[in-house]
Amino acid sequence: MPVEMSSRRSSRITDEEISELISKLQSLLPESRRRSMSRASAAKLLKETCSYIKSLHREVGDLSDRLSDLMSTMDSGSPQAEIIRSILRS
Amino acid sequence: MQVPNSFKLALLKQMLLGFQLSAVSSNSMSFHERKNAIKLSADAAMVFARGSTRWTRGLVASLSKNRNNEDLLRGILGKKYERLSLPCCNSWKIPRSRKILKRCLGLCSRRKKATGTQHDVKSSSTLARRLVKKRIQVLKKLLPGGESMEGFSLLDQTLDYAVSLKAQVDVMRRLLKISKASNLNLHLKEEEEEEEEHAQRH
Repeated sequence: MPVEMSSRRSSRITDEEISELISKLQSLLPESRRRSMSRASAAKLLKETCSYIKSLHREVGDLSDRLSDLMSTMDSGSPQAEIIRSILRS
Repeated sequence: MQVPNSFKLALLKQMLLGFQLSAVSSNSMSFHERKNAIKLSADAAMVFARGSTRWTRGLVASLSKNRNNEDLLRGILGKKYERLSLPCCNSWKIPRSRKILKRCLGLCSRRKKATGTQHDVKSSSTLARRLVKKRIQVLKKLLPGGESMEGFSLLDQTLDYAVSLKAQVDVMRRLLKISKASNLNLHLKEEEEEEEEHAQRH
């Protein structure tokens, strides 16, 4: 198969790099263990990757809500402030 | 895939710094103001922990669009803010990464065997390619800075971003747990002290 040569540098993205990247992505996704790795289609991989990222976004939003609730009930002279100070000191 | 503990620690520290800078525990903020400050702190902290890569630059760019965010961003990122805001040269991998990636994902029609009629084979691989194209567009919108990425770079940065996001979630969860526990301890302590006082008087 014809391969374009880069006009600036001679390194290429190898097939190995690509399959490694794809398998790393698959191992991130929650359902990857059930399915056989080689069967995954590009469309499915992309769909699950997008779902995964969206679910992480939602979680961050939810955790921000809960932290916001919690912070409002704490005063700044509390153990929380001490925890913060000790972490920032290290 | 996991991030090192140093990443999570850096994320936590900068996020807490952000909380302090925006005074999240003060009473003067509305719920939404507080939530936005928390979320912004979490994102800036994630950028700080990760350092310079395409998606972190993309994230800084989009967070900077809101003028109100600038102070907190500078406070958390320090010198990194300027560095991450500079335009960066495009990766040399781009021109060929789309073609190579699509080849390996089995999308080239050349590879498909003619098992059915010519018409059938053509439409199924065309559909597959269209679906993939559509989903790539979705992915580009989800990934900070994704609009300017293609093929290999896009997927590589996606992996990097997803791993960092997961770490951000883990850190926030743990902070929530610890804060709740310390809050509970404080209240229990207060109750105990009240009971003791009450008992002493009687």
